Amino acid sequence: MPRAKARKEEPAEAGSDIVMDEAPTSHQPESRDDMSVDQDEDDEVEAEDDEVEEEEEVQRVRLLPGSTPTAASFEFLNESHTLGNALRYIIMKNPDVEFCAYAIPHPSEAKMNVRIQTFEGTTAIQALEKGLRDLQDLCDVVSDKFIEAREKFAATASS
Amino acid sequence: MDYDPMVMDDAEALGPVVKISQADSVRVKYELSNSDIAFANSLRRVMLAEIPTIAIDLVEIEENSSVLADEFIAHRLGLIPLNAEGVENLLYARECDCDGCCEHCSVKLMLHAKCTGDENMHVFARDLVPVGERVNQVLGTPVFSDAEGLGPLILKLRPGQEVKLECIAKKGIAKEHAKWAPSAAIGFEYDPHNKLRHIDLWYETDAKAEWPPSEYASWEEPPQEGEPFDYDAVPNRFYFNVESAGSLPPDTIVSEGIKVLQQKLAGLIHELAEGEGDGMNGDYNGPRSPEYGTGADGFGGYTTPFGNGGNQSSWGGAGGTTPYGTTPYGAGQSNWS
Ligand SMILES: [Zn+2]
Repeated sequence: MPRAKARKEEPAEAGSDIVMDEAPTSHQPESRDDMSVDQDEDDEVEAEDDEVEEEEEVQRVRLLPGSTPTAASFEFLNESHTLGNALRYIIMKNPDVEFCAYAIPHPSEAKMNVRIQTFEGTTAIQALEKGLRDLQDLCDVVSDKFIEAREKFAATASS
Repeated sequence: MDYDPMVMDDAEALGPVVKISQADSVRVKYELSNSDIAFANSLRRVMLAEIPTIAIDLVEIEENSSVLADEFIAHRLGLIPLNAEGVENLLYARECDCDGCCEHCSVKLMLHAKCTGDENMHVFARDLVPVGERVNQVLGTPVFSDAEGLGPLILKLRPGQEVKLECIAKKGIAKEHAKWAPSAAIGFEYDPHNKLRHIDLWYETDAKAEWPPSEYASWEEPPQEGEPFDYDAVPNRFYFNVESAGSLPPDTIVSEGIKVLQQKLAGLIHELAEGEGDGMNGDYNGPRSPEYGTGADGFGGYTTPFGNGGNQSSWGGAGGTTPYGTTPYGAGQSNWS
């Protein structure tokens, strides 16, 4: 628990103040905040048009504020443990990755966050992309192995 | 997987292995080994909740003089397994250009039954008949797995009672409603001897004597008497038992599950590649984080606790000097399980 220790040594108020003000893990994208203002001011027809556009451009991965090239947090919309845990596992396999973890900050929000910290030489975004591709490769292998095993089973069962 | 095999565990470097122990029209039992529990569980979850199938979603009731309420019958109809072969050629109703539903995004089924005799009448899924155009000739047909070919019992009618209704079956996934689940159940098991102690077995006097051994107990080496606990051990062999509800054959459920997972990944890779055009090269006007790289050096415009070296680890160096100590991530760290 280096984390708890680290905070205990901070002045107590400073630590808690910053935590209360800045916790950004699942705040709405700024564009959406603008949207609600627009809707209040504009007439209804225009607001409806905006809504349709918003729907089409829904962004499923977002970089959270406070990220740097080698240490970033990503927010995935409409993803869950299904992707999160497997992705975390495969990203951790990358030797250029120092740290990777995932969390679902709140059970009633369909959001999944992934934190990636890499060593010098690669970026968190590259590590994420590589993780996605590696997981795809793993799926390919398991899929092929399953079909192969199924055919082998059918052959032995019929003979 | 283009990693240096040296980095991986020996067993894992060989790659995943699939062994099938039973396969028929209802279930497939297989072992996935040399894989991680995270991936095995993803596969289980995706097979359970994210494979598209077809189920009755809208019911228009013209006549219902049975003892069951309209909504009760509608719910029962929704749960009837319909053949999902070729469902990939059906559109989601919300993605179709039509107004409401059409033959490209739905299958219409009719049910009309009246008890004219003096005995109670049973209405089965067989009495549900698909009508109109369909993507193919089997999609949306109720599945009969009983010997008589009747399908599930929907309701019973007393003499003189009648039901007449029209159903719209749509494509969907079980994450939205369980009626779209292709699997009746998915067995998932590992470590039959509980060597890893992931389970705390309840017992009266002796857990070993009171709990029946798993059917896979003979597949793995039982623990030696007095064997010390291995703290580094991780599960490696996973036993799946995929049982179909009838809409898709069991081996198709496995293949489709992997496919869904791959589509999910492909979609994200595509989005990431799209975002990179304007996102990776320092021009962050796109929908990415407004704080990321707005300054000339890529970090201007805000003060970040990460600024003094992004890859300096808070995990490597103990003590309170870590730059992460005062960040929101520091506080939220317990969430990153
Ligand atoms: Zn349509």
